[in-house]
Formats: sequence, C-alpha cells, structure tokens
Amino acid sequence: MATLKHRDKTYTVKPGATLERALRELGIIPETVLPVKEGKILPPDHRLEEDEEVELVDVISGG
Amino acid sequence: MARVEKVVAETIRKFRMFAPEERVLVAVSGGKDSLALWEILTKLGYRADGVYLDLGIAGYSERSREFSEAFAAARGLALRVVRVEGELGAGIDGLIRVARGKACSLCGTVKRYLLNRVAYEGGYHVLATGHNLDDEAATLLGNVLRWEEGYLARQYPVLPGEGKLVRRVKPLLFLSEREVAAYCIISGIEYIYEECPHAVGARSIALKHVLNELEDRYPGTKLGFIRGFLKMRGRFEPPEPVELRDCPVCGMPTAAEGPCRFCRLKERVSHGAPA
Repeated sequence: MATLKHRDKTYTVKPGATLERALRELGIIPETVLPVKEGKILPPDHRLEEDEEVELVDVISGG
Repeated sequence: MARVEKVVAETIRKFRMFAPEERVLVAVSGGKDSLALWEILTKLGYRADGVYLDLGIAGYSERSREFSEAFAAARGLALRVVRVEGELGAGIDGLIRVARGKACSLCGTVKRYLLNRVAYEGGYHVLATGHNLDDEAATLLGNVLRWEEGYLARQYPVLPGEGKLVRRVKPLLFLSEREVAAYCIISGIEYIYEECPHAVGARSIALKHVLNELEDRYPGTKLGFIRGFLKMRGRFEPPEPVELRDCPVCGMPTAAEGPCRFCRLKERVSHGAPA
C-alpha cells in the first residue's frame, strides 16, 4: 500500500492510482494541498507505488 | 526569473506600488506568504527589511519567530522584532481575556497599528504584506455577501499613505496560496506550517474552502473574481472621507475623537477588566 500523510492523519491507498484520483477518493480537493516527496512536488498524474510515502502539505492559512 | 517572481514584478509595476529606490518594510509572520514575499522582493533587487510582531500567542509566537529569525539570518537580512506585550502591556492571549471582540479582529487592530508605527518611525516609504489571491478573493467574497459597500470601495492592492499613515501594498495579489506554498518548497524556504490557534474556525478559512470548491469545478474562478472586481470597483461609493487627527496619547493618526483604538485597548489592559 501507499501512504498519504495529511497533517495529523495518515491514509493508506492502493498503489497504481494517480495522486489526483487518490485525493478525490479521500474527499480532498487537489487545489488545497501540495503532494511532496523528499522535498519535491509531485504532479497530479503521478502514479502511487507500493510502499511510497507522500506528504500532503496544506496550502490554506487564514485568520 | 521564476514565473512567481515575474508576476510579482508586474504587479508592483502595474499598480505603481513602489519605486526601486524606495525603502520597503515587509510584515513578516513566519508563514509562507510573508517569507516568500521577502525572498521575492530581495531577489528583484528591492531594499526590503522585515518586521516581526511577537504577538504573545503561547507556543505559536515562539515558533513563528524562530522561522522568521532563521530566514533573515540565513540571508543576512535586517529583521526588526517588536513584542506586542512590550507595547500594549499584554500579548494577544492576554488581550482577548480582557477586551470584547473576536480574537482575529482585536489582533488585526493591534497589528495594523504597530506595523504602521514601526514603518513610520523607521522612515520606510511602504509597508508590504503577504496577502495572496486566496486571501483577497476570500475577503472580497465576505464583503460581497454582506454588501459592505465601504469595504468594497476600499479593497485595493495599494492603500496610499498620508501624513503618519504609511502606504500599504499587497504584491502577491495575483499569486494563489498554492503557488506561494509551492514557491517556498521549491526555494527551500522553511515556514511555520501550523495555523494560529485563534484562527481555527475563522470565517476567512470557510470562505477559502468555498472558493476552492468553485475553483476545482471552474478553474480560474478566483483570478476572474479579483480581476473583474478591480475593473468595476469604482462603482462602489466610498464612505465620506474621515478627518484624521493625532491621538492625544500616542500621536498616531486616528479617526476617533480622543485616544485611538490601540491606546484604548492599552488602557483596558492596564485595568485588567473586561471591556
């Protein structure tokens, strides 16, 4: 399985899906996060691989 | 030059925000927007110093200050640090215990006052803030939903200076939050990721979520919203100009009769009772 970490939550998703599809299935709007792996931003069509870990950096701030 | 830097350079030129020889003070919070703005202005060759207001929000202020100081130190940039507690008698945590009003509103009053005073006393020509496209679109949506005509007439990327009021500008107006965050990651800018504890549940964040849902379905919504507004904002009636006078306590400009709002909050803090 691949892992997506978003703030204090960790999601496991099946490998083979694109990042965009995985995010939509989790109910996360792609516009609101940046998928980052080892300091690099991954494109929406990136296919998740087995044991891959991706951090979802939240882009919204407010106040 | 990166696209992000080009967009900012064009925004500064288009709205005549400041000239190359003018001294710019960047309001730095330790977050992605203000640090990206400082980085971009420096790369574009502007003379930009930073000011960090230590708001006195337990835990959050210490961490955001560390990011700001580390950023400035790594680049050899000048950062002024001002403790709100030293100026007001209490930090924001203490202020919201004794004064009426929402935390973000009280904090906004304190920040606007102190940032302007620091910029004025430091002899800066302009104060630059890191408001991005999402911030401005959310503010605009909020103002439209309540038909705040006075706010709509005033919402603009440049607020001219006058007397002791220093000009305020928003050079990141045409960059989305996502683009700014991506710029920070690509440029290796480390910023405070956590949200201000008082902003949790803030209306501005709810408005941003609504706009992002629309953006997702109809790409270009946020940019179109702001661009369209800037073209037609002259149709909104500005409020009657208010005569500014010097606050009898601190000498800074105020529309109020008697002490300015900051000095009234300071007085309230000194008494320690709810306002």
